[in-house]
Amino acid sequence: MRVLVVEDEPRLAANIVASLREVGFAVDHASDGLEAWQFAEQGIFDLIVLDLMLPGRDGKSVLRLLRTKGLHTPVLILTAQEGKTSIVELLNCGADDYLAKPFDLGELIARSKALIRRSKGTSSPLLRVDNLEIDTVRQTVTWSGQIIELSPIEYRILEYLAHRPRAVVSKKELLEHLYDYDWEHHSNVIEAHISNLRRKLTQLATEPVIETLRHRGYRLRVESAQ
Amino acid sequence: MTSSASIARRLTLSVLVLELLAAVALIATVANHERHIQFEAFDANLRATANALLGSVQESETKDGSIQLDRQNLVLPMRAIYSVTNSEGLVLGAQGTPPELPHASGTVTKTKMAGHAYRFLVLTGERSIDPGTPHAVYHHIRVVYGLPEGRVWHTVFEGIRFFAISTLVLLGITALLLTWLIRRFLLPIGELAHEAERIDSENWTFRAPQSSKHFVELRPLASSIEKTVLRLQRSFEQQRRFTSDAAHELKTDLAIIKSSLQLLTMRRRTVEEYECGLSLGLNDIGRLEKTVQEMLTLARLEQAPKELKTCDIAEVLQEVIVQSHSFAEMKKVRVAHRGFEEHIGVPMGKEDALLLCSNVLINALQHSPSAGVVDITAAREAETIFLRVRDHGSGIIEEDRPFLFDAFYRGDASRSRKSGGTGLGLSICKAICNRSGGIITIANHPEGGAVVEIRLPIFSPNPART
Repeated sequence: MRVLVVEDEPRLAANIVASLREVGFAVDHASDGLEAWQFAEQGIFDLIVLDLMLPGRDGKSVLRLLRTKGLHTPVLILTAQEGKTSIVELLNCGADDYLAKPFDLGELIARSKALIRRSKGTSSPLLRVDNLEIDTVRQTVTWSGQIIELSPIEYRILEYLAHRPRAVVSKKELLEHLYDYDWEHHSNVIEAHISNLRRKLTQLATEPVIETLRHRGYRLRVESAQ
Repeated sequence: MTSSASIARRLTLSVLVLELLAAVALIATVANHERHIQFEAFDANLRATANALLGSVQESETKDGSIQLDRQNLVLPMRAIYSVTNSEGLVLGAQGTPPELPHASGTVTKTKMAGHAYRFLVLTGERSIDPGTPHAVYHHIRVVYGLPEGRVWHTVFEGIRFFAISTLVLLGITALLLTWLIRRFLLPIGELAHEAERIDSENWTFRAPQSSKHFVELRPLASSIEKTVLRLQRSFEQQRRFTSDAAHELKTDLAIIKSSLQLLTMRRRTVEEYECGLSLGLNDIGRLEKTVQEMLTLARLEQAPKELKTCDIAEVLQEVIVQSHSFAEMKKVRVAHRGFEEHIGVPMGKEDALLLCSNVLINALQHSPSAGVVDITAAREAETIFLRVRDHGSGIIEEDRPFLFDAFYRGDASRSRKSGGTGLGLSICKAICNRSGGIITIANHPEGGAVVEIRLPIFSPNPART
């Protein structure tokens, strides 16, 4: 999952970015409102963490613009001024949640995950596809109760696919949502990780769980019972 | 004084009391006048009747050479008392018994008769028989005629009663009219008070009602309330903004510290990572400490000074230039100064003066381009010292100018935090200047760069060293 952190205070931004990366998000950072909009309008983010007081263009106007342009990326507002802009007003502007500074990093991460979950159409932290069970909080994967050891990037690919089982996810989409701009990567890294992931899963399953559709992308296969 | 007094009631009452006093005076005057007229008429009446009595003696037939009173043509009131006597004291005619009265003719005498006040007129005349003949006889006649005064007083009292009743009726009508009029006139005051009552810390709008602007007497009050409310609103807004900005600043600093430490505890880390994290955390705490320190300084400066302190600003400037030398070298900026060899006393403590000068100088150094120059000049004009600090940087943005001395104001919102400033430096400078009766301004130099000008009153040519 890819998160955009918009925060002008460099030390705070660094801490938020670092903590989100620690839990496996791809994170980009914008330090002013104009940069934030340039990032956000690409529509490649699964969540935007938005500070309100920004140089260039303030957080609320970025949020308004985002919603006016029809972008539905969940937005988590960070604010230190509870009085000035009321929470009600922010929520009515299209914000999904808010945190008051000084906030708890653990809470920020939990809320971020919950917002992403809900935007993908599920509220349970457990993703189940057939015998496959993904715990998005502990970041563990089991097949019929048996734990599968995955590398962080393999886990992220699997989690991304599991949010939309049976849907075809292009390689471009995977690259956009799993890597931030700071990440050195080539387009064929996805193929390498997919093949590793498929190998680990096929050891337990009878048939390949991840299908490759030539020139189209990948799909998490669901048993015929579905 | 009673707890609640009403202007309307007092005004009405005062006017009514004055009216009443005037009415009493008027009635007294009128009654006196009436009495006078009535008595004149009464006396004329006495005289006429007495003359008639005298006339009837003069006109009557004589009988054996003696005179008599012929009352046939006379109609006299029942309560009249009279006597007509000749010179020998023989009574020619009488009704009742008149008292002993002086002999002078034409005198009116008041006297009491059987409990009633009477007025008597004495009239003397003579009856001549066969005048112009040798056997002419002259008889002296004395007429005393009196009537009770009661009738006159009755008329006078009737007049007074009429006036008193009319006055009371008039007073009643005026009271009603006054109450209505005064209420009407006081209405604008009521409206003004009602409007003023609506002002509180949440609602600072005060628009003087049209009615209060209409009256010359109320106009100054209304406009002074308007001005006061506006001033209060501004200072309240300023306070609120300061509190909110200060809270924002402190919360941001706290958020940094909290997140730095929480980041460290997210998983086990190497000793180096912990060390690095803790040193960053300490830096963050240092920043918070500086912000709090400056806020406290500002709070101290905004209170009136307890005692008058003075210092030598020339000496302070030299000291500040020496102190900032290493920073200037690091920025590769040269500090040029001229015009302050002599001692110049200013009414501020040395610590404050150091803070003021170093804040301004460091600010100029920060905004100077590398290999630039910061010019410091001091000029003396009468009892004022002008200090100008000019940098050759990009200058200030004109729109920011009115707010540059506001606490936590950031023209470029991100700049001040990134450059390590707390956003209080210039506010502190302004507070120091204000406290000493000085002025600080900032403007762009026509040839580029910003100029900070500090104007301070000179305290004495040889200040006491602190």
